[in-house]
Amino acid sequence: MKVNAEMEQQSDPIVKFGNVVKRFGDFTAVEKASFEIGRGEFLAIMGSSGCGKTTTLRMLAGLEDPSEGTIYLDGEKVNGKATWDRDTPMVWQSLALFPFLTVQENVEFALKMRGVGKEERRQRAEKWLEKMQITEFAGRNINQLSGGQKQRVALARALVTEPKILLLDEPLSALDAHLKVRMQSVLSNLQKDLGITFVYVTHSMSEAFSMADRVVIMSRGKIEQIGTPEEIYHEPYNRFVAEFLGSANIFDGKILGPADTGGWQIAYDGGETVLPQNELPDAHPGQTVTFIVSAENMRLSLPGSDQSGIEASVVGEEFIGGTAMVFLETTTGQELKVQKSHDELSLLNLHAGSRVVVHWAPESCHVLIGENV
Amino acid sequence: MTKRPTLFSLILSMPLLVWQLMFFLSPLLFLVTISFWTVRNFQMQPDLSFANWGRILTRGVFWDAYLRTMVLATAAAAITSMIAFPASYAISFKMSEKAKRWIIFVLIIPFFTSYLVRVYSLQVFLSDAGVVNAALGYLGLGPFSMLNNAFGIIVGMITLTLPLVILLQTFSLNFVNRDLIEAAQNLRCGRLRTVFAVIVPSAKVGLVIAALFAFILSFGDFVSPLYLGGGNPPTLSIMITDITKSGQQWPRAAVVAIMMIITLLTVAFAAITYAYRERGK
Repeated sequence: MKVNAEMEQQSDPIVKFGNVVKRFGDFTAVEKASFEIGRGEFLAIMGSSGCGKTTTLRMLAGLEDPSEGTIYLDGEKVNGKATWDRDTPMVWQSLALFPFLTVQENVEFALKMRGVGKEERRQRAEKWLEKMQITEFAGRNINQLSGGQKQRVALARALVTEPKILLLDEPLSALDAHLKVRMQSVLSNLQKDLGITFVYVTHSMSEAFSMADRVVIMSRGKIEQIGTPEEIYHEPYNRFVAEFLGSANIFDGKILGPADTGGWQIAYDGGETVLPQNELPDAHPGQTVTFIVSAENMRLSLPGSDQSGIEASVVGEEFIGGTAMVFLETTTGQELKVQKSHDELSLLNLHAGSRVVVHWAPESCHVLIGENV
Repeated sequence: MTKRPTLFSLILSMPLLVWQLMFFLSPLLFLVTISFWTVRNFQMQPDLSFANWGRILTRGVFWDAYLRTMVLATAAAAITSMIAFPASYAISFKMSEKAKRWIIFVLIIPFFTSYLVRVYSLQVFLSDAGVVNAALGYLGLGPFSMLNNAFGIIVGMITLTLPLVILLQTFSLNFVNRDLIEAAQNLRCGRLRTVFAVIVPSAKVGLVIAALFAFILSFGDFVSPLYLGGGNPPTLSIMITDITKSGQQWPRAAVVAIMMIITLLTVAFAAITYAYRERGK
């Protein structure tokens, strides 16, 4: 695992996974997961379905017991400790609100289970209903609420006991885009206000990157990278992460020798390029390298200009808000992605089949090292 | 929102309508009609007399039988539901899909044999010199009187309704959202408490309807009160046969039958209203 120098090493993390393995029969859902979660941190666990992210969260909640390894929660080893003996409320993907109870009774549920008296229960629930702006629905049936209102009830129900940590399993996946963005800011603000730890499982990069302090990327039961959204975006640790982020162009090449302009001269499929010295500190000529250039750092020129680069033809384009992703194919068949503003593209007057030259600044390359390729 | 039925849907529902008209509604109307008839020289004569109604509804014997039948059927429904629930819970939550299919098949087997045959065989078990008392005798207990009393009747009614109640309860428990159970446990609700705080309320509709079926079957049951209860003092169903046998009093028997139907409709309506009632505004 890449140890991140900038990551705040907390002396007293709230959660500590040590080589945690979870098997279901022959299937290994989580393989040797080790990581820590700091107090007050917003951590997102991200990956495609079946990657082990939900199993990881469920082990933390006590809904699954690890097959191997140790989990520490607030300084205590919690292996084998049932979920009803832990203080790890979770917000379910289905929300799992009790349809046979009113909104108020749903929020009071955890307090009732702890034997809190009726009057105190009512007061504490009302405080959270107010905080989540759902006071007016207190006496309603759950089935009469909208998606966003249910979401707020689920949060109030989980937070009413004022836990140190809140677990969220894709809680926003059922909402429409507009409501999703609004709930993201509700969650972000709530987490900052309360100062407690949020562990948020999602398959959505935009959710993870917009809310989390740090993101854990998982694939097939393994942790691929842990880092801040910026680190992961600009310095993906390996080919999987780069491909998962979806906007990176990946090139395989070989070091020819030192370049005239400094750095290393590289030969790759599409020609030659220069990689900066600091990306390859102890490299030697003849070594193979894999480097990535993100789509927004790619530049386009029309053929005939004296710009050197890879020749490619336009396959098509896709609108992404104010920009467009142009899909290209090189003469050797490699697919490339370039993200540009509509203004810039209209100057080039591209259409399917147009020939262009793709190039980039050496400093925008990121090199994948050793076994991470 | 009201939907106007299409011609096609009317045609499709015709067989049901015709059947219900011929074999349910018209006999029912006939039953109501003859309750106003009179009997002279062992012959029924069309009439508009309220004498039958007056005679039955003012007799203490009728109300004793009514209360007895009500208590027996309620007790049978309650006891059956309570015996069935742990079994249904185990089938729905603890068994593999394959085991579930087998157990459901096994639960259907009792319906292959006639209820009457099963009740006769219960006589062998429950009589004073029967199998159960013989077994208890080895332990130095008994003999207990288990036949020709309320105990015998309730054993028979449970035998009649238990497989159906387990099936209905199991199906309703299968539809309980498993996330709700985990969510409750995650909020510190222990395992046993989850059963009463989450599983029972979630499956309420099915559990109430299962109990309602047990009540309906027990309330109208004729076989257990006669062969295991001895028929005396009578339940309402036995009272009907007694009245028809003595002096061809079909009109008075019709009054008892109509009272039973009204009771069942009231209980069923109340139970279903309760089952579907939702919390909150």
